[in-house]
Amino acid sequence: MNLTNKLRQFLPQQNRATPSPNPPADLDLVLQGQEVFTPFGACYVVQKNLPLQKKHGFWRIGNGLEVESHNLKVLGQEPPEDFKVEDALFLDTETTGLSGGTGTYAFLIGTGRFISTHFVVKQFLMRDYNEELAVLYLVDQELQKTDTVISFNGKTFDLPLLHTRFTISRLSFQGAQNHHHLDLLHMARKLWRKKLESCSLNSLEANILGINRTNDIPGFEIPGRYFQFLQTRQGELLQDILQHNVIDIVSMAILLYRITLTTKLSPEECDCPWEAEALAQMALSRGDHQQAISYLEAARQLCTETEQEISILHQNALIHKRQAQYDQASALWRRILMLNEDDLVAYEELAKFYEHKAKDLGAADQLTRRALAVAWQTKSPKIPALEHRLSRIERKLG
Amino acid sequence: MNVEKVLEKITNNPRFMRNITFQHTLPGQPGIYEPIPDFLAPELTELLQRKGINRLYSHQAQSLEAVQQGRNIVVVTPTASGKTLCYNLPVIQTLLENEEARALYLFPTKALAQDQVAELMAWSDELGGRIKTYTYDGDTPGDARKAIRSAGSIVVTNPDMLHSGILPHHTKWMRLFENLKYVVIDELHIYRGVFGSHVANVLRRLHRICQFYGSNPQFICTSATIANPEDHGKGLIGQPVKVIDQNGAPRGQKEILFYNPPVVNKPLGIRRSSLLEAEAVAHELIASNIPTIVFARSRLDTEVLVTYLRKSFHRIGEPVEKIRAYRGGYLPQQRRQIERDLRDGKVLGVVSTNALELGIDIGTLQAAVLTGYPGTIASTWQQLGRAGRSNEQSLAILVANSSPVNQFIIQNPDYFMDRGAESARINPNNLHILVSHLKCAAFELPFVQRELFGDVDPQEILDFLSEEMILRKVEDRWYWMSETYPAVDISLRSAATENFAIIDTTDGQRKVIGEVDRFSTPMLIHEGAIYLHESRQYHIDHLDWERQKAYARQVDVDYYTDANLAVDLKVLDVFATEDTPHVGRHWGEVMVVAKTHMYKKIKFYTHENIGWGEIALPEQEMHTTAYWFSIPNELVEPLDRDSLQSALIGSSHLLGNIASLELMCEPSDLGVTAQIRSPFTGEPTVYIYEKYPGGVGFSEQLFETHERLIRRALSIIEHCSCPSGCPSCVGPIEEVGLQGKDNSSWFLRRILDLESNQQTPSIFTPAK
Repeated sequence: MNLTNKLRQFLPQQNRATPSPNPPADLDLVLQGQEVFTPFGACYVVQKNLPLQKKHGFWRIGNGLEVESHNLKVLGQEPPEDFKVEDALFLDTETTGLSGGTGTYAFLIGTGRFISTHFVVKQFLMRDYNEELAVLYLVDQELQKTDTVISFNGKTFDLPLLHTRFTISRLSFQGAQNHHHLDLLHMARKLWRKKLESCSLNSLEANILGINRTNDIPGFEIPGRYFQFLQTRQGELLQDILQHNVIDIVSMAILLYRITLTTKLSPEECDCPWEAEALAQMALSRGDHQQAISYLEAARQLCTETEQEISILHQNALIHKRQAQYDQASALWRRILMLNEDDLVAYEELAKFYEHKAKDLGAADQLTRRALAVAWQTKSPKIPALEHRLSRIERKLG
Repeated sequence: MNVEKVLEKITNNPRFMRNITFQHTLPGQPGIYEPIPDFLAPELTELLQRKGINRLYSHQAQSLEAVQQGRNIVVVTPTASGKTLCYNLPVIQTLLENEEARALYLFPTKALAQDQVAELMAWSDELGGRIKTYTYDGDTPGDARKAIRSAGSIVVTNPDMLHSGILPHHTKWMRLFENLKYVVIDELHIYRGVFGSHVANVLRRLHRICQFYGSNPQFICTSATIANPEDHGKGLIGQPVKVIDQNGAPRGQKEILFYNPPVVNKPLGIRRSSLLEAEAVAHELIASNIPTIVFARSRLDTEVLVTYLRKSFHRIGEPVEKIRAYRGGYLPQQRRQIERDLRDGKVLGVVSTNALELGIDIGTLQAAVLTGYPGTIASTWQQLGRAGRSNEQSLAILVANSSPVNQFIIQNPDYFMDRGAESARINPNNLHILVSHLKCAAFELPFVQRELFGDVDPQEILDFLSEEMILRKVEDRWYWMSETYPAVDISLRSAATENFAIIDTTDGQRKVIGEVDRFSTPMLIHEGAIYLHESRQYHIDHLDWERQKAYARQVDVDYYTDANLAVDLKVLDVFATEDTPHVGRHWGEVMVVAKTHMYKKIKFYTHENIGWGEIALPEQEMHTTAYWFSIPNELVEPLDRDSLQSALIGSSHLLGNIASLELMCEPSDLGVTAQIRSPFTGEPTVYIYEKYPGGVGFSEQLFETHERLIRRALSIIEHCSCPSGCPSCVGPIEEVGLQGKDNSSWFLRRILDLESNQQTPSIFTPAK
């Protein structure tokens, strides 16, 4: 038996390529791009100039220009001092796999940039593996023209992947040096983590941006579709992928705008309790307690669910407590108990307040007993601590 | 009591000494020393002096010298001879000279790696924290990984992690690969057979990656005694090596005893159970406060021995906690705790499979009891060497069991003493293994036309993988074209990648208590099996084959279970054939179908069969290589069908065992089966197959040594004192029948053309 026959016997058969009955169509006709030559060979580039007035969900693409940098710092991002969205590059890759590692290739790298009257999406495609260097070279050129990269989950996925690709290709990745990088996923999570079940781009599009994709190719099908293209050269196979990538990039531009819209809302302007709550957290993290309390108050008024209201009251009480404003805090804990008479934390906090601050041992004793009753009911791990507290209070009472 | 006293006591006991077939004193030996060489950094010399080391053992000095000259080395000296200095000195020396330099340490087990890191940390502290050492394994937390990649001067890991975690992400390890000066491989002899063949390929991949980043590391290896350290080292790392095998470390006197359990059933030739005898010997030693390690041949034996020992200690009012089991199936924390208790002396007796045979530092064990011959001479010496440090007397006792190999060794101690250790063999070009690693390598970096992989030209395989659409060839390169991450599907240590989890459901809980590999699952954790863990018995209530889970419940019963394996075999291809008028022998590819149909319940202590049950599990297929021989039908005409059956069963029982001795591999690496009329040869046929897909070269070797194998088998039958067959030769008469020995002997002699059709087995009488 020769080696190849033996291999056939040893290894389970995979799906073989079924050669397409049609001769490959001209890629230019299907994808409407062009071959571009570089010092590292050729690759394929598709450019789409989208007019600013074009609608994308609730907004127009041109809204994406109305972004101010100070509204981004609020979300813990670090844009350059003189950040202008016109100078930034939106970036999104389509890859041959999601498992990572050095055998995963970025076969399509899409970029987006505002250029005067248009939002220009440029997509760099390797029509086969030997075009990777050319793609990387062109992307590096793009990156060198910008000081800020904006991605969705690029901090963990796209940029490390590009780094690996550049290292393996032995190209210096100048474009990635000294860049500011804004990751929209991180920002979106800060604002909408509690509101949405998922902060995937699809979920944000559907719930926040008013975009419903139709006939969109699911992400997990993309690698297989690309491999099929490599075997058959049928450009149609890539159309959906390129379209998917364009929507990703345009959505990113709108999402950035939508995020800054929210971050600049004053407490009075808020119309969503979750957003108001998120804004309170941000005010808190920059040390503005008064503002945080105002946002929480707005959130409480907007919210419709008791559970959320209790959570807001707790956050609010905690801020007062940390500020040593015990009277305000204890009023809030009492309010919580009116909404939920089994709230263990509220009992416990009030007991502490009466024991140590108000020095009303009788009230402390009563509240601790109530807390214990709840704790026993719910088998809470706090039981020993509460028992300890109770015996101390009773000792003090004599 | 000290070892000397205990030895005196037992050697004066005639009942004990009656069973001793061999006693040998290995004399103590003073050390051979050399001064610390001048080229060593002064701070390192000072550090050694602070530790009380003012001179080096000769092998340490030679290692340092050879590494200094830029050579790859393999240091072959016994356990506890200060091997770690042989690599730590040159590595630390280089790291002190060049802060950017990096070293990669590979240990076969995590336990060994952890010991090593602890030692290196202590060195680093003494040197002002300049040597940053980290372990990188499956337990390393995510946030620590980044620091290790960029800052670790010494990265300590295992071949599995290099294979699945480091090489496929080599760009993240750029700093390591660009500056890699040394690769240290400890316990080189462990990398043999299937595991070694895999690791050789992982090292081929490492070479590729180093080449890509422009480094060319030197290899420093250590090994237990093997016959071919130079060849094996070269085969594994793919470069020439210099062997340093003159041991300069002093050693204490060691008494070696071979103990053959008494025959309890003369007509059947059955000896007393080696487990019971080993238990008695170990009990004597531990009760005399001699820290003792007992080696068992299997996980099952380990558990049985612990149970026996604990019960016997309980009877004399001693705490049972003094006895602990130690084996691979335990979770890491459990193992760490046992190792600590051993070092602290809270545990006096430890029962282990070969996990402790490797160089884990477990302090001052003074006696070793080997339950059964470990299968190889190298392994035996390592286990014997586990007890006793440099300047104290120690004791090692090998307790034989009834198997042919054991009986051969115990009755022929010269073979053991004179033969020397065996060769370690690998076959990195096993097609299964090679293809697996070519995939991983192509994932890591595209292959370029005419690029070699080790000494292999991979073009045909790469073309095949392109045809299968796993790779894609464009111009002169092959690229990875799949969404999958190939390394996760390839386990270096066994054919099966997935393990089955054993879940304890006692009292409504659900706790994972251990794991069993897929191939062992039908044997060990079928429904109805009694699975032993930490001396507790668990009844397997339910086996979920799909989800790879076995649900167990703690029970207290007086039996254990033993499953029977049935094997069917089909010839696919013949690589070589040699026909003589009396025998046709072959070597080729086969498909083995294994199925377990039933299990027996065997009562503790009496070992009687008290019941059985069916096992309904899917059969397992394996494509592998085999050696087989057949005898022309007309030559066996004097045998009726039953006698022929008996001759085949008896001969295969014996040959399977003897083959492992001949090959110097583990008996479990081979399977044996016979067909009274093989569909392939049309004749009575005996097959010996390799239990790894594709094989690692054993069958070819058996094909070549065919005649010696048959002759040795025949000699064992002729020297066995049993009248008609016993476990030590052709197998128990329940299996081979009352004429089993005569039938097998006649059959083997017929093959050797020592019998004719005029003589029938019944005339044959065993030689005295």
